[in-house]
Amino acid sequence: MAATAIRVEGFTKRYGKRLAADGLALTVQRGEIYGLVGADGAGKSSLMKAVAGVLAHDGGTVEVFGTVIDSERAAEKVKQRIGFLPQGLGLNLYPDLSIEENVDFFGRLRGVPGAELAERKNMLLGMTRLDAFRNRPMRQLSGGMKQKLGLVCTLIHEPELVILDEPTTGVDPVSRRDFWAILGKLLEEKGITALVSTAYLDEADRFHRVSLFHEGKVMGEGTPAELIARVPGTLALFRAEPQADALPRLKAQFPQTEAMGAWLRVFAEGLDAAQARAAVDTCLATSAPASTAIQVTEWFDREPELEDVFVAMLRQRGARLDTSLPADAPAAAPTSTLAIEATGLTRVFGDFRAADAVSFAVPQGEIFGLLGANGAGKTTVIKMLTGILKPSSGSGRVAGADMRSAGLAIKERIGYMSQAFSLYHDLSVVENIRLYAGIYGLDDRRARQRSDWVIGMAGLAGFENDAAGRLPMGLRQRLALGCALVHEPRVLFLDEPTSGVDPIGRRMFWDILFHLSRREGVAILVTTHYMSEAEHCDHLALMFAGRVVADASPEAMKQELVTRAGQLLELRVDRPVPAQNALRDAGFANVALHGRAVHLLSRDADTDRKRLPALLDKAGIAVQSVGLRPLSMEDVFVQRITALEDAGRRSP
Amino acid sequence: MNGQRIVALAWKEWREIIRDRLFFALAFVVPAMLMLLFGFGLTLDVENLPFAVVDYDKTAASRDYAYRFISSRYFAFQGYAADEHDVDALLADNQVRMVLVIPPRFDERLGRGEPAPVQVLIDGTFPERTQTSMGYVAAINSAVSLDNMAHALSRGRGIPLAEARQRVQPVKLEVRYLYNQSVKSIWSLAPKLIMLIMMLSPPFLTAVGVVREKESGSIFNIYSSTVSPGEFLLGKLAPYVAISIANAMFLWLLATWLFGSPFKGDPLFFAFATVLYVICTTGIGLVISMLVQTQVAAMIVASIVSIIPAVLYSGVLLPLPSLSPAASMLAHALPPMYYTNIVVGCFLKAVSWHALWVEVLVLAAYAVGLFGLGYLLFTKRPKA
Repeated sequence: MAATAIRVEGFTKRYGKRLAADGLALTVQRGEIYGLVGADGAGKSSLMKAVAGVLAHDGGTVEVFGTVIDSERAAEKVKQRIGFLPQGLGLNLYPDLSIEENVDFFGRLRGVPGAELAERKNMLLGMTRLDAFRNRPMRQLSGGMKQKLGLVCTLIHEPELVILDEPTTGVDPVSRRDFWAILGKLLEEKGITALVSTAYLDEADRFHRVSLFHEGKVMGEGTPAELIARVPGTLALFRAEPQADALPRLKAQFPQTEAMGAWLRVFAEGLDAAQARAAVDTCLATSAPASTAIQVTEWFDREPELEDVFVAMLRQRGARLDTSLPADAPAAAPTSTLAIEATGLTRVFGDFRAADAVSFAVPQGEIFGLLGANGAGKTTVIKMLTGILKPSSGSGRVAGADMRSAGLAIKERIGYMSQAFSLYHDLSVVENIRLYAGIYGLDDRRARQRSDWVIGMAGLAGFENDAAGRLPMGLRQRLALGCALVHEPRVLFLDEPTSGVDPIGRRMFWDILFHLSRREGVAILVTTHYMSEAEHCDHLALMFAGRVVADASPEAMKQELVTRAGQLLELRVDRPVPAQNALRDAGFANVALHGRAVHLLSRDADTDRKRLPALLDKAGIAVQSVGLRPLSMEDVFVQRITALEDAGRRSP
Repeated sequence: MNGQRIVALAWKEWREIIRDRLFFALAFVVPAMLMLLFGFGLTLDVENLPFAVVDYDKTAASRDYAYRFISSRYFAFQGYAADEHDVDALLADNQVRMVLVIPPRFDERLGRGEPAPVQVLIDGTFPERTQTSMGYVAAINSAVSLDNMAHALSRGRGIPLAEARQRVQPVKLEVRYLYNQSVKSIWSLAPKLIMLIMMLSPPFLTAVGVVREKESGSIFNIYSSTVSPGEFLLGKLAPYVAISIANAMFLWLLATWLFGSPFKGDPLFFAFATVLYVICTTGIGLVISMLVQTQVAAMIVASIVSIIPAVLYSGVLLPLPSLSPAASMLAHALPPMYYTNIVVGCFLKAVSWHALWVEVLVLAAYAVGLFGLGYLLFTKRPKA
């Protein structure tokens, strides 16, 4: 039997004039979990649909199980062996049917005989822990449950290949981990091949092999480790005060420099750890003779992450990271004035508490992150703070005004950028900016000044007269930001500002936010479900089911997790699923599958590093390596929620 | 063809329609509601037309003349006005639609055998109504004149009044109305409303039902499975056809029981033709759903494509022979006209196969053609 499940060569797809996929090539082996990683519009969905035989493509070869998919008739031949889950959480399910009715429909549609259908349904619903809710209509399920039901419906006819298009987008991290665990187990047991796409780069290590997608092209293919090895270098995390002065100096020499809260994060391409330290020290000491030297205070170095490598690859292909922000603007004087203050904000819709006693405070000049899954209540909180929605109880003060009594006065002092990038797609860039200037009542001269500022800040020079709808995602996002800033607000609200934007666009966006907060003293409240982005914030509030469950700086949160649950160990093994089971039996509570590796939290990392290979060896599992990994915000989030859920179970 | 899959599709569709409140209303409540609204609201009879009288003569003869109008069921007397200036305001704000002005010396002139002019002012803003009311006025006036002549003749020649009447009007019309003996517009309107509503509801339901799957993405479940296009169309559309047939039967009950339309034809023939018509209009919805991508577009296209032919080119409001040649050609190219002939024939004329086989054949051809087109347009591997 041929070992190849999918072979794609020179795959091209156009929608009208737009080229969505440009000569893509990849090969998926049987039994592999293969990942397509990239931003919205990178061509992932087009390729997946073509492989599933539900989209006609324009050029190239798509071969599935040895059948070339070039016509409806050819596609029909392999469809019984494929399960396809289209993009959009639960959108392919039937909201008025119950969980069981949905599964039954998919089973009958696929011609699964009655007895087998009942058996598989019980097995899959049991495994996904949905069996307690069999009769609940799909529309009343949470995001995580919809996602699992979608998986069950896709697997009900026992396909040999499953194609899952962004199954984890917008789902909370706990459900996401759960999903990966179930998927990994099922695929292992049944020997199923999987083609899965994701917009989260940090999910890449869930796959055996991945393709990095960017603007319709594949940037690289291989195991996550192979891809990371492709651009050698060192990732350095350190502090250097004043941070706002250090950043531009470093950026001149290391384009991939970012501010992460109070920390600086530098990817030193082509340098080992010692060379990187020396280069950073020299750069901070000498690059500006007139000003004082800056000292590096704390220093950590490690292997770069896939995102650093991806950005480096894009830079090699000519992508630029620089924005035209004035580097020498004076830093804003630190103040202790509170820009945003939420006290017990609560909003009830019927018997649903969308926000439940939410309290936090954001001083002027801080980037504050509100972190949580879709439906956790982030947007409700923003709407109450901006005066769009009346709170059921509690109060919020923004820029010194109570939002209930001063709805209009507040709006003059705040900027708001919504999830949907509220731009008028048929208006040009300049027309959009002028429109917002008009809405905020700027006079003609000021409107012209601010319009020029926005175009410079967002890197829109040359696009002034293009329709906003035709801009690439990254530019469109920065234009929306510019429109929210046109009246120079002191407080800025950003609701999911980076959804669907590629890593380059995301970096430039965060650069601008950093500049605004540090140089101009703007207070920024940003919501996101990208856990990796949260590390850019000075301070974080984690939201879950309408409540704030943690409120601290990213560093403090991670530190707290280390003291409570231990450090993160990564074991590379030959058989990850049995290894996971063996480790669970050995008493480790937080064991998760990541592609061919297993992650676990260890209270005594040094001892465990030594004893675990022997322990697994007894179970017949060969350990290739054991290493310490940095904790991510996702780890923090998952631990917090599981702890809360456990506490809830113990004392209902 | 796999029966199990068709049943699974139809069963799923049925449960979605029943459980989605908006869709349920659209499927089961809206058709009956349209029937009631149109049936009670859309009457083409002109009756109880409000009118006023300006009587400058103020004699027994003038009052007698005015009384002929006042006692007619076609006019509703609103009162006497002092002079013509007063009635301008009444006409302007629609309190009266017609004014009768009887000049001075009306009685005197009649007595002398001179012509006695009477002025009638009629609101001409609604030509249909104006012409009908003009007809009523002319008829009442000529009846009065004939009566006066008969009286004069009877007095002058000393012959009995009845004979005098006969002499004045030697040719007497004997009218018998066929099929709709009391010429009630609702008798013919109610059956035509079945045609109208069955032209609106099935395409709308079907188009929205199919397109919402495209919009949500659940259509990919169909695309990615091994369901054949034929199985999908059968399973998906069967509930819509069944619901529409049930609706047609219910509308038939409303037409005969509530609106009292007589049903003189062959129920079996009518049922057969109606099922064919419903399949045909469902097919229109199917074709629309294959051509558009969003529910909003489906609704707009379905409304335009169904309302215009059903209202303008079917013979509901305008008799077909009075259409322009181009409009008439258009009417003949669309299904509503054929089914209008069938409903009118079945309800009022008691005709069946021998008179209507062409209509049935055309509807059958339409049903086959539309479903064939829908089948050809449906692809499980689209370009976008």
